[in-house]
Amino acid sequence: MNATAALARAPFDRALLLIVPASAFMLLLFVYPFFYGLTCSFDATHNCTLSSFATASFTAASYKYFFTTDNQWPTIWTTLRLALPATLINVGFALPIAYKMRVRTRYQRWVTAILVVPITLGTVLIAEGALTYFGPKGWLSQTLQLLHIYEGPIRLTHNYWGVLISLVISGFPFAFLLILSYVTGIDPVLARAAATLGADPAAQFRHIYLPLLAPGLAMCFCLAFVQAFSVFPSAVLLGSPAGPTRVISIAAYEAAFEQYDYSLASAIAMIMGLVQLIIVVAVLGMRNLFYRGPVVGGKG
Amino acid sequence: MKHDFSELKLDGVTRRFAGAHGQAFAALNELTLTIKRGEFICLLGPSGCGKSTALNCVAGLLPLSGGSIWLDEIRIDTLPPERRGFGMVFQNYALFPHMSVARNISFGLRMRGVASSEIAPRVAHALKLVQLVGQEHKLPGQLSGGQQQRVAIARAIVIEPPLILMDEPLSNLDAKLRLETRSEIRRIHRELGRSTIYVTHDQDEALSLADRIVVMKDGVVQQIATPQEVYAQPANLHVARFMGYRNVLELAVEREQDGRVMLGGGDIRLTGVRKQRLDGSRACVAIRPEEIVVGDGPNGVNTIVGRVDNVEYCGRDSLLDLVTTSGTTLHVRAGGHIAMGDNLRVHVPVERALVYPSDAAGA
Repeated sequence: MNATAALARAPFDRALLLIVPASAFMLLLFVYPFFYGLTCSFDATHNCTLSSFATASFTAASYKYFFTTDNQWPTIWTTLRLALPATLINVGFALPIAYKMRVRTRYQRWVTAILVVPITLGTVLIAEGALTYFGPKGWLSQTLQLLHIYEGPIRLTHNYWGVLISLVISGFPFAFLLILSYVTGIDPVLARAAATLGADPAAQFRHIYLPLLAPGLAMCFCLAFVQAFSVFPSAVLLGSPAGPTRVISIAAYEAAFEQYDYSLASAIAMIMGLVQLIIVVAVLGMRNLFYRGPVVGGKG
Repeated sequence: MKHDFSELKLDGVTRRFAGAHGQAFAALNELTLTIKRGEFICLLGPSGCGKSTALNCVAGLLPLSGGSIWLDEIRIDTLPPERRGFGMVFQNYALFPHMSVARNISFGLRMRGVASSEIAPRVAHALKLVQLVGQEHKLPGQLSGGQQQRVAIARAIVIEPPLILMDEPLSNLDAKLRLETRSEIRRIHRELGRSTIYVTHDQDEALSLADRIVVMKDGVVQQIATPQEVYAQPANLHVARFMGYRNVLELAVEREQDGRVMLGGGDIRLTGVRKQRLDGSRACVAIRPEEIVVGDGPNGVNTIVGRVDNVEYCGRDSLLDLVTTSGTTLHVRAGGHIAMGDNLRVHVPVERALVYPSDAAGA
C-alpha cells in the first residue's frame, strides 16, 4: 500500500524552482507595495510608517476626501477622457495596418520598423519632439501657413490634444506589435478557404479574421488602456496640468510630494487601480463572448 | 460563375517562383489538360512535383506565370478565387475554428446570398451525404480527424460547384480511416457527378479513385492516362518507378526486334517489351515484384537464379530479396514457404518486362 502510494506520487520537479525569481520579484515589487499602499490609504496618521500602522487606527477619510473634493474626483473622468479615445485610436489604427502587414512584402520590414520606432523613445523625448513639431511656432504650423492651407493659430500643445497626440505616438507601437502577432498567428489557409467559398477580401476580414482576432483585440485594448490611463509626463509637459489634463496621476503626485499626504496619495493610487480593473474586467468579460481556441483550420 | 460546364481546359499553365539568388524556377511547366464534365482526375506525383501548385492555379489561389484556364468559352484564370465558384478541400481541412459544423458548411451559401430558408435543407442534405447528422452544433475542434475531413468535403460540395478540388485530403488520416474516406469520396462523386481534381502522392489512392491520372515530376506532366494504363504501361522510367516497378535493372542492349529487346549483363539475360525509343547501348528494364513468377520460364526464357537474402512476411505472401551470383538484387513477391538462404529460380513474363532508355539517356 505504502509502496504504491510512494510510486504514485510524482517526484519533486526541480524545474519548478525556476519560478522562484519571478515569484520573489512579484512579491517584492508588486504584492508588498500593493498591500503597503492599501494599508497606507487607510492610515489615520497619514504618515504611512510601519510604526504608525502598528499603533494608529484606520479610517477611510482619504477616500472620502477624494470623492468629496472638487479638484480630486473629476480627475477620473479627465483621465478616462484621454485614455479611452487614445486606446480606441491606437487599437483602431493598428488593426488595419497590422492586417495589411501580415503578408510578407518588400516593404513590410521597413514599414514595421518605422511604426515601431516610437517604442524606443522615452515619453519625455516624444513630448519634446511634439512641442517642436505641433507647437504654435512648430514645423506643422509654419508649413501650413507657408502653404496657405491654414492661417489661423494652431493649438495642439499645452491642452487636451497635445496629451492625446503624445499618447497615440507612444501607445501605437505597442498596439501594432501586439495585433501583428495575433494576425500572423491566424492560419492564412482559412482566408484562402473562405475565398474559394465565395468570400471577397472584405468578407474574409469580417467573417474570418475579425472574429478570430476579437479576443486578441480585447487583450490589446486592456494593455493599451492601462498604459494610457497611467499617463503622467506627457500630461504635464504637453498638457495643461492645472486644467483640462489634470489626470489622476497628477492628483496622486500632488498629494504625495506637494501636500505630503501619503495616505491620500495611496488612496488615489488605489482608486486609479480600481478604475483600471473595472475597465479591464469588463473588456475581458466581453472577450469570453468570442471563440478563444487555436486559430488553425484543422490538422496540419 | 456558371453552375455546369462541358469542358475545363488548362492550356500551357505555368507557374514560376523566385528561387535562391533571384533565379526563377518553374514549379509547374506548361500543363495542358482537358477535363470533361463529371470526370475524376488525379494529379499524382512525389512532393515538389507541382501537383498542388496546379490545383492552386485552378482554384485561383496562385496567379499564373503563363498559359490560361478556360471553363468552356469563359477564361477564368484572370478571376479571383471567390468568383470562380469551385469547391476546394484543403490538406489540413481549413475549417473555420470559430464556427459550428453547420456554420462551416453553410458559409459558402451565405457568401452567395442564398436565402436562409434554403440554407437549412441544403446543409441538412450535405450533412446526410457525409454521414455527420447530429454533429452540426459542434465546433471543428470537437471532431475527430475523419469527421473534420468530412465537414470539409460537405462544405465544398454544398455550394454545388461545377468543379471540386481536393488537395491531398486523406494524408492526415490513419490507414483505416483513409480507406473508408476514400470509398466515401468515390461514393459522393458517383452520387453528385461533379468533376473533381484530386491531388495525391499515393498511387493506390489515385488508382482507386481516378478516371484519369496525370503523373507529374518536377513540374512537368509525365503521363496522362487511365489508371489501368498508368499501372500496366507506364510512359517512362520515372512513372514506372513511381507506380511500383521496384526492380529497375540497367543492362546492355544485345538485340532489338519487333518491339522486343534482348538485354544482358552479368548472369542475367532478359527479353522485354520496348516502351520508348532506345538511344544508347544500355537500357533499363522495369519489373514489378508481384509480376515475377517462381519457377522457370517457357523454354528457360527470362529465368533468373539467385539466393534468398531477405524475407519480409506480408500475410498473403512474402517480399523476398533475391541476390544473383553476380550480385544483382531482385525484389520478388512470392507465396509459400521460402526461407532465407534458399536457392530460387524465378522468371519474368516477357510482356511484363518493360524496357526504357537508361536514366543517363533521359527518361
